[in-house]
Amino acid sequence: MKKSDTIIHIENVHKRFGSVHALRGIDLDVQRGEVVLILGPSGSGKSTLLRCINRLEEFDRGRIVVDNIPLDNAENINTVRTEVGMVFQQFNLFPHLSVMDNLTLAQRVIRKRDKKEAREIGMELLNKVGIPEKADNYPLQLSGGQQQRVAIARALAMNPRIMLFDEPTSALDPEMIQEVLDVMLTLAKEGMTMVVVSHEIGFARAAADRAILMDAGRIIEEAPPAILFKNPKHERTKLFLSKVLS
Amino acid sequence: MKKPGDLEINKQDISFSTRWWANLQQADQWWLLVIIVVILTILMATLRPDPFMRIVTFVSDGIWVTIYVTIITFLLVLVLGLIGGLGRVSHNKLIRGIASVYVEVVRGIPLLVQLIIWYFAFPAFIKDIGSTWNIPALAAYKANPIIMAILGMTICYAAYMSEVYRAGIESIPKGQMEAARSLGMNYIQAMWYVILPQAFRVILPPVGNEFVTLLKDSSLVSVVAVADLTRRGREFMAANFIPIQTWLMIALIYLIMTLVAARGVRWLEKHSRYER
Repeated sequence: MKKSDTIIHIENVHKRFGSVHALRGIDLDVQRGEVVLILGPSGSGKSTLLRCINRLEEFDRGRIVVDNIPLDNAENINTVRTEVGMVFQQFNLFPHLSVMDNLTLAQRVIRKRDKKEAREIGMELLNKVGIPEKADNYPLQLSGGQQQRVAIARALAMNPRIMLFDEPTSALDPEMIQEVLDVMLTLAKEGMTMVVVSHEIGFARAAADRAILMDAGRIIEEAPPAILFKNPKHERTKLFLSKVLS
Repeated sequence: MKKPGDLEINKQDISFSTRWWANLQQADQWWLLVIIVVILTILMATLRPDPFMRIVTFVSDGIWVTIYVTIITFLLVLVLGLIGGLGRVSHNKLIRGIASVYVEVVRGIPLLVQLIIWYFAFPAFIKDIGSTWNIPALAAYKANPIIMAILGMTICYAAYMSEVYRAGIESIPKGQMEAARSLGMNYIQAMWYVILPQAFRVILPPVGNEFVTLLKDSSLVSVVAVADLTRRGREFMAANFIPIQTWLMIALIYLIMTLVAARGVRWLEKHSRYER
């Protein structure tokens, strides 16, 4: 942890889907520049929690403050969303737009950048994720790994202060996972605040400041990855890790 | 290994005439039907100018009215249908309710009855209001047939089109809206830049079919005093007493228009697919 100032403040957040109590009172503070990995079995609420941070999911109770902006009205929510980049499991690139247009659309509509400036930023980011030659291709012409890297570039084009990753490598073929993790590692080294829902233990060891284990809508245990993976305190954590680490 | 007897064909060697023939075979074979029907019609009109050329000349202004009414109505339907479709997928219960009632009511009443309501009942209603409340401008209201026909058809077809739009919008994966919203776009921006451009490609075939159906249903406006192709045909028949030739010709003219429209729709579909 570089510096102690809170950029994401989550306080007693509850969320129900009908009869399912998906989040049961989550408290979590993320510091500026921190990389947090959230682990947990499916249905533990980890994706829901992530999606609450930029209000893609509404929560029933509690409070979330992102970069001193409380998520309480439509205007604040849109402001927060421009400051928070999100990367999805299924990439969710816009298939009707070229790679470059995927990168420039929100820049032009939201950031009001002109075409030339937006394209320059887009090209810079494509270089950063290693596929400048794909600028004029369409998303469906790209491999999964390439699509996910474009998706990361698209989020970065808005100059976010926080990046959220929702199982970014789960939909990828094994040989494509590393190219996406490499981009994420670079981002982490540059000091980006990142909250990552993933089971990529290697990435956690290399880049995460903190690993959090969630189960049944609660945070069970949190610690630096080296400690959590070696000496988990809770039985639930041990059981889960034994499955993931094997 | 080449076996004896194998034909060796270098694609570049294929002569122009063979290529022309190959292209024709690959081309949409329905064009052939269009060409046959057009040639048949032209032959009839030239070889038997009386009565066929006379019929065409007599109803030609009706052809233009049919085309004009269809195109104006269709453009209005595209806009009103979009509004209705957006209403149907709205998260606002009131808006969704209004859109749903509109769609259900309009779809439950025959188009012919709706046209009659707009041309006969609606003006009478306005006049009643005018005379009851002593408003001379309303009491003297006289409906314009073409405007009422276009209005009636638009309101009816837009209800069906709303459902087409709704289905198209709902066919776009939820992740697209989420991705757009997570970039900071509001609902309208996400709809406009991300969802609708994709939905339009999805709904192009049903929208094209609606256009062809509308072209045919436009013959119903003949009962509300619009001098379209059908009405002109009835006038010709009344004056000349040759129903067989008259309606053969009218049917052929409609057939040419619908076949060409359907080919145009197919062409549009082909040229709007995603690049892969």
